[in-house]
Amino acid sequence: MINANLKSSYAADERVLNNRYKQAFVYGSILALVLFTLFGNDYLILIASQMGILLIAVVGINILTGYTGLVSLGHGAFVAIGAYAVTIFGNLGAGVIPAGLMPFVSVPLAVALAAAVGVLVGLPSLRVKGLYLAVATLAANFIVIFLIEEDLFAPWTGGMVGLNTNVPNLLGWELDTKREMFGLIAVVGLVSLLAAQNLIRTRVGRAFIAIRDRDYSAEILGISLLRYKLMSFALSAAYCGLAGALFAYFYARILPEQFELALSLNLVAALIIGGMGRTMGPVFGVIIVVMVPELIKVLFGALAGDSAGAGQLRAPLQQIAFGVLLVLFLLKEPLGINQIIDRILRAANRWPFARG
Amino acid sequence: MTMNRRSFLATSAAATAAIGTPMILRAQPKEYVLGASLPLTGPFATAGQLVAPAFAMATKLFNDEGGVAGVPIRFVTEDSGYVPQNALNNYQRALASEGKNMIGYFADSTGAMKLIAPELKGENARIMGSTSFASELANPETHPYQYLSGPTYQSQFDILLQNIKNEGGQKVAFIFSNTEFGRDPIEHGRKTAEELGLEVVLEESTKAEGADIPTHVTKLAQSGADHCILQGYVTGVWPQLIGGARQFGLPVKFKGTFWGMEKLIADRITAEAGPFLAGYEGVMPYRYFYDREDAPRYQQYAELSKQMFAGTPLENYMSTWAIQTMCGLEIAMKAFRDTAEAGLELTPDNIAEKLSGISNWDSGGFFGGPVSMENNAIGTGRVYGYNPEDGLFTPKSDWFTV
Repeated sequence: MINANLKSSYAADERVLNNRYKQAFVYGSILALVLFTLFGNDYLILIASQMGILLIAVVGINILTGYTGLVSLGHGAFVAIGAYAVTIFGNLGAGVIPAGLMPFVSVPLAVALAAAVGVLVGLPSLRVKGLYLAVATLAANFIVIFLIEEDLFAPWTGGMVGLNTNVPNLLGWELDTKREMFGLIAVVGLVSLLAAQNLIRTRVGRAFIAIRDRDYSAEILGISLLRYKLMSFALSAAYCGLAGALFAYFYARILPEQFELALSLNLVAALIIGGMGRTMGPVFGVIIVVMVPELIKVLFGALAGDSAGAGQLRAPLQQIAFGVLLVLFLLKEPLGINQIIDRILRAANRWPFARG
Repeated sequence: MTMNRRSFLATSAAATAAIGTPMILRAQPKEYVLGASLPLTGPFATAGQLVAPAFAMATKLFNDEGGVAGVPIRFVTEDSGYVPQNALNNYQRALASEGKNMIGYFADSTGAMKLIAPELKGENARIMGSTSFASELANPETHPYQYLSGPTYQSQFDILLQNIKNEGGQKVAFIFSNTEFGRDPIEHGRKTAEELGLEVVLEESTKAEGADIPTHVTKLAQSGADHCILQGYVTGVWPQLIGGARQFGLPVKFKGTFWGMEKLIADRITAEAGPFLAGYEGVMPYRYFYDREDAPRYQQYAELSKQMFAGTPLENYMSTWAIQTMCGLEIAMKAFRDTAEAGLELTPDNIAEKLSGISNWDSGGFFGGPVSMENNAIGTGRVYGYNPEDGLFTPKSDWFTV
């Protein structure tokens, strides 16, 4: 039972992992990830990789929506920019930059490009808020996909037929299996998560939170809305760009239709389900968004068999089950899974003295 | 004879080979698995739901015939919602759970085929058919494990353009959906038209769903085309375009490709909006299901349909979409069986070699005559015309081979 975390210095209070539970959790997770990378079965590795990629993008959305209070329905566009940019830079630089160094050049460039476009898309946030901003950002998704599909850019983007991606080569180590890629995704995902956790205890992070809580109060306090709102957009777009770069490395081919509105909505849905403005929110959200449909599939498959006849019936049922589950989650706990987990941990912590 | 070291080794090697051979045969799996992704939900759910029963029929038919060299087959089908990413996930899931027992896969879109294609390497390679006729896939060098169960869209355009030329047409318009599916044969069609001396007077792209019909029809009227080829539509847009043109009083002759040639859709349109599809023609790689006098395989399907789908609309009619799927499965089965009969292991490379070598194959009536795989596609088809009075597509040309 923990009653309090004793801290005897400000430095201890300011640490990213400011109590032993958090430290134990993070180190335990790292160990679990290492073991999983080595021994997980192929299918689980595939699902976990998808979760990892989505997680990085949702962490980005969390910075924008969870911490800064700005809603975006266009972040699928930044994932697309990351994915296409890393492939296009990779293709253009082939032969000029050694293959083993390519990811170290093309990924930062792709992330920077996504961030730059993020600033552009974020400009309306200075004038509009809430739903209006959501609609304004929606345009980003359509414009980016439109440009990717345009014949003018087709020599680079592949247009509608998509683009074969490159195998990442880290200093001569080719990550050409899903398992190796998962290793990379796990490392990048963990670092992104810790970086986001770190961000909110800095001056920038506190400014974001001040803007979320009341933007004009924040401005009166001396926080430049222009600077911090755009910074928030840039950071979140950069995260999505990074997710996109990994997406391109993970899949052998990218198609414009993979980055359409459905992806943007999925990102926001994952965040809302997991819990906005909480570090672990994206993790829980992604687990639910990716795992639940898979579990429903396995469950329905076990119940109804995997023949085409059964599939015909269970396919629509699966979608309904997932929809109902989401509605139940939101009704039962609008603050997301993170809040439910908090409550369970609190109860466990105080057991047997008090509950809730 | 004294036994020295050399003869001992030779004898034991021979003995091992003799004893070992049946071991290889015994190592056959209990069943072979064929995976499939179908659009059971989403925009093409109508097609997916009509195609799904074909898999039940295929399971019964192929297993009654002895499966692959006596080993029964089983299908594992999953919904993709017509999202390529989901089809890829389904493929990976099937690979992980079925392993080497899975010898083939059936995908439900061009997008899915293209997304999965680069994954088909080494241990992860499997033979793969689909609903797609995308021209890019018909290339054994770049897509060694994927095949088309008919002609590419480009070949279908060639057949139509040749037919237009034979009819004395001069000016052609291409109207296509602004999708990969719609754009696939356009550039090639332009070249073929030029070679045939036909003038392409309009290339108009539309939305795949909810297109602005009056605008497109007006452009078609202004172009002065005598023939118009529609490409890249399944259930919507193409009938509205034809209806719009007829209301406008345009005498243009409309032609379509495989996905615009389903009787169920044409019948529904006729029932809802009148007989304006009279004279509509298009290219179809296969016989229609009702034309089964010379198609023994179709007769078998018909018998099975009566047993398995009694009381449903599938009892008497099999959609062209389901026929395409069945044809794809028949081709895969032929390749599996040929490989097994040749005494080879059912590896993707062995199967791919047998598949691309299919020649003079009597399909049992799918096509006009014996067909061969060329560039992993079967370049044959014929022009059919729709008659709203009897609701039938009837042949308007002989079988073309391109």
